Amino acid sequence: MKVTINKQNEKTLVTLEGRIDTTNADQFQHDIAPLMDDERPNIDIDCSGMTYTSSQGLRVFLLLQKSVMAHHGTMVMRNMDSRVKEVFDITGFSNIITIL
Amino acid sequence: MSMKLDLHSEMILDEYRENLPVYEKLLSIVLERLRQCLNENHLRIAGLESRIKTEDSLTNKLELKGYKYKTINDITDIVGMRVITFFSDEVDVISALVEKMFEIDWDNSVDKRKMLEIDRFGYMSLHYICRIPEATYHDPDMPQLNQIRFELQMRSMLQHMWANMYHDMGYKSDVEIPKEYQRNMNRLAGMLELADEQFSRIRKEINNYRRNVQSLVASGNFNEVPLNGDTFRSYIELKPFKSLTEKIAGINQAEIYEDSLDPYYQVLLHMGMRTIGDIERIRKEYTDGAYQLALIQLAGTGLDIVASSVALQNICIVAILKQGFGEGGLVRLFAALNGENDYNVQRAQRLIEQAKKINLV
Repeated sequence: MKVTINKQNEKTLVTLEGRIDTTNADQFQHDIAPLMDDERPNIDIDCSGMTYTSSQGLRVFLLLQKSVMAHHGTMVMRNMDSRVKEVFDITGFSNIITIL
Repeated sequence: MSMKLDLHSEMILDEYRENLPVYEKLLSIVLERLRQCLNENHLRIAGLESRIKTEDSLTNKLELKGYKYKTINDITDIVGMRVITFFSDEVDVISALVEKMFEIDWDNSVDKRKMLEIDRFGYMSLHYICRIPEATYHDPDMPQLNQIRFELQMRSMLQHMWANMYHDMGYKSDVEIPKEYQRNMNRLAGMLELADEQFSRIRKEINNYRRNVQSLVASGNFNEVPLNGDTFRSYIELKPFKSLTEKIAGINQAEIYEDSLDPYYQVLLHMGMRTIGDIERIRKEYTDGAYQLALIQLAGTGLDIVASSVALQNICIVAILKQGFGEGGLVRLFAALNGENDYNVQRAQRLIEQAKKINLV
């Protein structure tokens, strides 16, 4: 699992690569923790390299989404592989997180 | 020392300077009491303003009518607060609470709302001159706190707007306005007063409507309840999808994340639901299919968190498939929920394949 964060002006671009599962979900949460301090964050997550997420990954995305809402910001996930997207669909998470 | 004031007024000004720490303390106590009281009574207000009269402002007042006051404590608006309500009828609610909290000096309090002649409109506000009763707060080091009076104004937002605009034009009472403008000012004031009344009336009617709807929904007469934003919320409060959500969560012993069902209101309208009874029908008819769908999707995945909306999501999916709306119907559902994108078609096709396996289509 590789997380790259680039801040460009008002926008924060996050690139995710690989699998998010029980073995690395804590690290993933640690990697994105700085995003939870931003006021009015504008986060754009590129998921083209993400191959899988487990429930642990979903929990981290949920945590980030809640933080973004609390800080009156926005967050979108893009370019998600259809098999990864299915995880969000069948758990109802597509209704919570904006996936483009 | 000001060159403009006489000796008596200068003495009053000195008393004011000595009392400043007491005024500050008084202001903070009253503000805290007010905020606490508003919170306890679940009252939302548009604004709470406060100020201690400045030395310049007091000097001006003493210049004009310093002879009227024996001591500084005869001036009742050194410490002033203003509660601005959203609706005019809330002024009475707030004033009733203020009467309980503080000791009111009725001889000096004014209900300017009742002072207007039948052919006059304009500045309307309720001004109470108050003290903090010793029974509720007493500081032996600052006994003056219970003696000094403060002014508490209460008015609606529209009354506040009127007062501010009037003041901004440089007038303190309507008799000063040139006659040629008086009529237009009166028309405007009348319009604001009517608007204030209408807002209060509409709010009362909406509240009554909501109460009626809640009791209708609670009574279970769903077929008589038209589907709208209010009825949908009342229905959701009954947690009609709770048991299905729990059953779905049980597939993987999953945690349930409670999310909002609000986006489904528009979806259900688009699906042709006209009453809460219509939603109840699809809930009862398609709960089993919705569970079967979740079972085929979630079993064996190890996914141990689900959003509570997944139950209604699956009911809508099954209803669309069972009613023969097929791929197009599902694409429209996903577009309504998550926006239009190419993936919706892919998702719909995958769902149809899954539905075939459990004989939903």
